[in-house]
Amino acid sequence: MTLKDKYAIVGIGYTPQGTVSDRTTLDFHLEACADAIADAGLKREDIDGLVCYRHFPPAPGEGDVTPYLVAQHLGLEPAYLAQDAN
Amino acid sequence: MHAVGALEAGICKYILISYGHSARSGGGMSQVLSRMAGDDAVFGHFGAAAGYALAARRAMHEYNTGPDTWKHIAVGQRKWANLNPRAVMYDRPMTESDYERSPWIVEPFRLADNCLVTDGGRAFILTTAERARDLPHPVVTIMGLGMHNPAADPVAARHLTGPTGARRAGEQAFHMAGITLEDVDACEIYDCFTYTVEITLQDYGFFGPGEGEEWFRGGTIEPGGRTPVNTSGGLLSEAYQMGLTPLTEGVMQLMGRCGDHQLGPATGNIKPEIILCSDNGGILQTHACCILRRN
Repeated sequence: MTLKDKYAIVGIGYTPQGTVSDRTTLDFHLEACADAIADAGLKREDIDGLVCYRHFPPAPGEGDVTPYLVAQHLGLEPAYLAQDAN
Repeated sequence: MHAVGALEAGICKYILISYGHSARSGGGMSQVLSRMAGDDAVFGHFGAAAGYALAARRAMHEYNTGPDTWKHIAVGQRKWANLNPRAVMYDRPMTESDYERSPWIVEPFRLADNCLVTDGGRAFILTTAERARDLPHPVVTIMGLGMHNPAADPVAARHLTGPTGARRAGEQAFHMAGITLEDVDACEIYDCFTYTVEITLQDYGFFGPGEGEEWFRGGTIEPGGRTPVNTSGGLLSEAYQMGLTPLTEGVMQLMGRCGDHQLGPATGNIKPEIILCSDNGGILQTHACCILRRN
């Protein structure tokens, strides 16, 4: 069976962008995620999957951001947790 | 595609996809852009801009392209950014002569051919179309998906002037969607450099090699143009949120939530029903194509 039109995007999360100093990569992930959940009209506990999009090396002095770390900070224990490669 | 797989497998119901980077203030991106790896660094070849510049220079050798083509992309996308308060370049118009005066970064690319380096993040949530109908926004579905990754090192690659991974990824996505290019109302194309937009649209079949200059000329991709491209300003003029800049803009346009840059009567375009989105990675080494539809 085809996947055509079977799945839908239901919420988008934004953050301030451009030159936004004193914020870490993890910060931006968390704000974008929280904003997307609110935008979709969902509750945090509805989220049972988390994929971090492919990413660049962290800034000097910051640890690498893993999907597990993002989930932990959001207070989620998703059934599906992955780092995307594309 | 990854997230669709997890949903299709029944592992989860609502999947969150997230991107973030303190690329500008934190200095994370400078490592990518100026990392000197490999023997070619000794000869001055390093970083992403040089890799894409190599591809673009080869394309100039093989067929008719170059700054006369790319200026239409840089200037056209900037016009969209000037309508988008969220865009980093919102209050910075760009004329063709501004483009021509823009400093060289890696020839043949000027600064205006390069995407922005920005701090920030972006996320979206994917679920089934059925569940989406119970949620607040208009339902925007994934109509077609494709991926193709010709991941050869640029030094050994033979695909940098096309066909890139966009050719097969596009064919797959259009096959799944059951539509043709004629059905596409707008495109949101991963635009790390201006040339990336040209080669991607070329490989999708909008025009043949060397026909880009004529295709882009006359405001084709601008507000009111016949094929709007990168309607938020894109990576060149809105912000760098990797593949999520194009994808999320495509969704927001189809939901009708784009304010002054909303495709429709105000911009002189039709209200979109189908938007083609792309992402690519490495030096044209990976490619994903996603066709979105308003239901």
